[in-house]
Amino acid sequence: MDSLKHLNRYTRDYKGTIFLGALFLTGANFFLIWIPVLIRRTMDEVELLGEEYTTDFQSVFEILFSSEAGAILALNSLLLIGTVLLYGILLFATRQTLIVSSRKIEFDIRNRIIDKLLTLPQRYFASNKSGEIYVRATEDVSRVREYFGPVFMYTINTITRAGFIITMMIIVNPRLTFWALLPLPFLSLFAYWVSGFINKYQLIIQEQYSDVAERAQETFSGIRLFKAFNRIDHEQTRFEEQSDLYRKKKLKLDMVESLFHPTLNLLIGVSIVVVIWQGGIMVIEGLITVGNIAEFVIYVAYLTWPVASLGYTVNTFQKSLASWERIEKVLSEPVDIRDREAALTGEEMKGEIVFKDVSFKYPGSEDYALKNVNLTIKPGSNVAFVGRTGAGKTTLINLIPRLFDINEGELMIDGHDVKEWRLSSLRRQIGYVPQETFLFSTSIKENIAFGVEEATMQEIEDAADSAQVLENILDFEKKFETIVGERGITLSGGQKQRTAIARALIKDPKIVIFDDSLSAVDTKTEDAILSHLKSQLSDKTTIMISHRISTVKNADIIFYVEDGSIVEKGSHSQLLEKEGRYSKMYQKQLLEQEIAQI
Amino acid sequence: MDSKAVDSVLIRRLYYFFEPYKWWALLAIGLTLSAAFLGTVRPKLTQIAVDDYMAVGDYEGLFFIIALLGLALVGEFIVLVANTYITRWFGQGALFRLRNAVFEKIQSLHVQFFDKNPIGRLITRTTSDIEALSELLSDGVVNMIGDLFRIFFILSFMLAMSWELTIISILVLPILFYSTFWFKGKVRVEFLNVRDQIARLNSFVQEHINGMSVVQLFNREEKQKNKFEAINRDHRKAHIKTIFYFSIFWPVVEVLASIAMALVVWYGGARALMDQVTFGVLLAFIQYVRQFFNPIRGLSEKYNTLQSALASSERIFDVLDTANEVPEPKNPVQIENKRGEIEFKNVWFRYNQDEELILKDVSFKAEPGELLAIVGATGAGKTTIINLLLRFYDIDKGSIIVDQNDIRNVSLEELRSYFGLVLQDNALFSGTIHDNITLGNKHITREDVIRASKEVESHKFIKKLPGGYDFVLRERGASLSMGQRQLICFVRAMVYDPKVLILDEATSSVDSETEELVAKACKRMMKGRTSIVIAHRLSTIQDADRILVMHKGQIRENGPHRQLIRKDDGIYRKLYELQYKDQAITA
Repeated sequence: MDSLKHLNRYTRDYKGTIFLGALFLTGANFFLIWIPVLIRRTMDEVELLGEEYTTDFQSVFEILFSSEAGAILALNSLLLIGTVLLYGILLFATRQTLIVSSRKIEFDIRNRIIDKLLTLPQRYFASNKSGEIYVRATEDVSRVREYFGPVFMYTINTITRAGFIITMMIIVNPRLTFWALLPLPFLSLFAYWVSGFINKYQLIIQEQYSDVAERAQETFSGIRLFKAFNRIDHEQTRFEEQSDLYRKKKLKLDMVESLFHPTLNLLIGVSIVVVIWQGGIMVIEGLITVGNIAEFVIYVAYLTWPVASLGYTVNTFQKSLASWERIEKVLSEPVDIRDREAALTGEEMKGEIVFKDVSFKYPGSEDYALKNVNLTIKPGSNVAFVGRTGAGKTTLINLIPRLFDINEGELMIDGHDVKEWRLSSLRRQIGYVPQETFLFSTSIKENIAFGVEEATMQEIEDAADSAQVLENILDFEKKFETIVGERGITLSGGQKQRTAIARALIKDPKIVIFDDSLSAVDTKTEDAILSHLKSQLSDKTTIMISHRISTVKNADIIFYVEDGSIVEKGSHSQLLEKEGRYSKMYQKQLLEQEIAQI
Repeated sequence: MDSKAVDSVLIRRLYYFFEPYKWWALLAIGLTLSAAFLGTVRPKLTQIAVDDYMAVGDYEGLFFIIALLGLALVGEFIVLVANTYITRWFGQGALFRLRNAVFEKIQSLHVQFFDKNPIGRLITRTTSDIEALSELLSDGVVNMIGDLFRIFFILSFMLAMSWELTIISILVLPILFYSTFWFKGKVRVEFLNVRDQIARLNSFVQEHINGMSVVQLFNREEKQKNKFEAINRDHRKAHIKTIFYFSIFWPVVEVLASIAMALVVWYGGARALMDQVTFGVLLAFIQYVRQFFNPIRGLSEKYNTLQSALASSERIFDVLDTANEVPEPKNPVQIENKRGEIEFKNVWFRYNQDEELILKDVSFKAEPGELLAIVGATGAGKTTIINLLLRFYDIDKGSIIVDQNDIRNVSLEELRSYFGLVLQDNALFSGTIHDNITLGNKHITREDVIRASKEVESHKFIKKLPGGYDFVLRERGASLSMGQRQLICFVRAMVYDPKVLILDEATSSVDSETEELVAKACKRMMKGRTSIVIAHRLSTIQDADRILVMHKGQIRENGPHRQLIRKDDGIYRKLYELQYKDQAITA
């Protein structure tokens, strides 16, 4: 129950409003019970008046508008309408306080989660499915909201309404109350059972639903094979089997659901019939009036929904709590990459990088992704990493901006352990162009200026120019205001990469990292970018990963990475002389070019 | 066309899927009618109980009426349960038929359809689009009819007791209609806004989970947090606005129902004083007024779901109406003498009209029993040749001939049964090895499978797996090595004993252990059949009778290895050297 306590802390800012809402709801229910009371009173008074009056009335209007009886009727009816209006207004106020608060709390919780996610290290995102994390910040929060909204409201409603009504009923006649209430506990239990069953069964159906989708997925993605082997009919049978299972499981749920409303109806109906039966006997015996029966019938009707909602509420509460527990796990996740006290600020960073016996394993993995890496990158130098996919190049450079922390060895920048630098300063000094270009669905301008506090239009244009993407951008109708992504324009792979390069360059960093960032750019543009960079980046440390010899051949040092270790290093010409892996790679690319040119 | 006409066409087409259940549907309507009657007769019975028995103190009569009430109640219960279940049952039946029909249609369509439509969209058509019809097809329509019956019965009972009170009690209806109308309008706008805000919020979350490293590398945590708060605030605002309309609407409905009751008591009270209306009638009216509101509200809600269901049925019928661009021949010819001779005659082809040509005037011939290899750089058009041979696509110009017959004159099934196909991606599925080999064909026995797998040198390794041929593959065979997966695909092709073997060699490297097995298996497979091999590893095709070198959609060189390797400037020779380098790096 600790987690429930934590959850309830979110009500702190809204305690007053929630209390007020509870008060409004109690008030609403207080006025609600006057409706049956007034109806009974009118009927009773009419009965009495009927015995007194012996004169015949000419028309109904005579009674309504000119007699003493008419005045009583009018008074009662106006009272009735008055209480109903009060009830309605209070109900409005209840929803405006309770439900609105629940939305505000939802807002707070969601902000907390995003806030937390923004500080969590890459380790967390690498070891959790992005879909799962997504659900935490979206669906789970919505479910927790139901606890503060409907669950709160229905619970208060059930308690106060049932309290008032049962009190009134007992005042009128305890025995009839007993008979009227007899079926209601069953109603609650039944609703609890049904909503529990529905929750449980919906999961089963959800699974079956994915099975159906999976069959479609497998068949459609292997369609050539199935067509080639003439297995279309068989795939149809397999799909129909799953489809039929889905139907059958759905029908099982339907069976319970089709019991729900009729049973609700039956139990309420039984309650009313029992009231008429037992009440009828009491009327004949003169213990109560017909007005009392009308009153009870309405009471029972008013109790239906609160009593039935009790079962639903309990289940919703359980679901909210389960969602909250999952959210709490995210919120309590340790942030293990953060600043030490008295961290170094980076204004004077020169950009020397030293790896000393660095080894690294991804969390949850047995194997080393990097083994005993030793290398020195001098400030202002230009180095490149080459090697096959999966050799560990990206892993290696990800350690520099501390996307991950190393397990063994030392990683130094300007002679200081990378952990001694203030994280924001460290990253401020690194211009990183990731392998998979990720742009946000905002304007190109915002994407380029992403990492700087305030950029002038001139700076943005300069960065775009250095990355050779300025012309493309100016070709768009909305220029720098063009929206990127699904809702806007789809950039080509090369345009995206160059935009990401501009985003890194505008920071004017000390260290520039290109992780295979020119792969989708043609060689001519690549040349232009590289020569541009050479003049601009002369005082900056430049690190490049590439599969293309043309990109890396001018680097001061080229490192060949294989299975997490550096196996060859040297300049282009030195490596060619060695006739090792690098030179084979080079010759292969030469041949490929030749073939392409035929 | 106006929307009414479209709707009626859609409804008629949907009816087809109900066809087998039409008598059940009629029964359901009958049950609904009786449930509506049994539900609405009860206040009338209370009126009789009050006026005829309580008023005169007739215990026996009271008990009789109570018994009738109980019967009506239990009767309604039974009828309602049966009715709901029956409608759900045939609704699920119709959905089942519809889902299967959509799946069948999609499967039967030409391969290009799958190129043009992302798999995700096709899955949506077979699953969630059908689900969207669920409410309409299960109890939506029947419930609407039930609501109409209820309104009819309530009005009849009320009119039979007192027409004046009836008019008094429905006085508030225009206000109810108006406020429902107002509410629906407001809420629809707000719901659209809420939906947009949810989408905005969700895509922000999604995007930032995926791009978290960029956010952190660029020190944007604080800014993105503020940005999210703004989006989150809009989301909250949209919800709070809908809450506002809901918190007006529900109280208004309650207030109206109570006002109707107040009016009944006021006017009815006066009539009671004149002895023109009894207490029983008053009691019955109080109940009817409450009952009356439900079906009216229900009708307006269901009308909306009906509209949205029709919208998604349009998407489904779009798929069902798609024409197959690779049609079966009208009068398929039977191929008498199956020898396995294949010929491409001046074939021109492109995937899309506005794209460049993939094959330009390609002609070649493979004699029965010959081994023909096709090589070339990526994108040269090699795989396209296989796609055309199996008639996954139809060619633009020229002809493809199998044993003297144009493939467009042969039934697709007969044509495809000619070929044993091994695809590049070595597609395996979750399921046993046996099922992966037979693809569920019950006519292939375990003996057939073992014989075929012995032929391609796979029996030994399969036997060593736990469970042997019943070993269950997970995640598309991730537990097997590349080479093993390829061998299983070989067995799959061989088990049909095809006339022509088509092998699109895997690009990914095979471990040296199985490499030898694969090479041996290849040789045995090709013995005695026409084979067309798209080779990525040139070592496998050195004994090919003929090698076709494809380059940019054309056949540039044609001949056996010995001959092609001698051409100094030849493409084949270059490719060969390239391969040699590649292998040197791997080693």
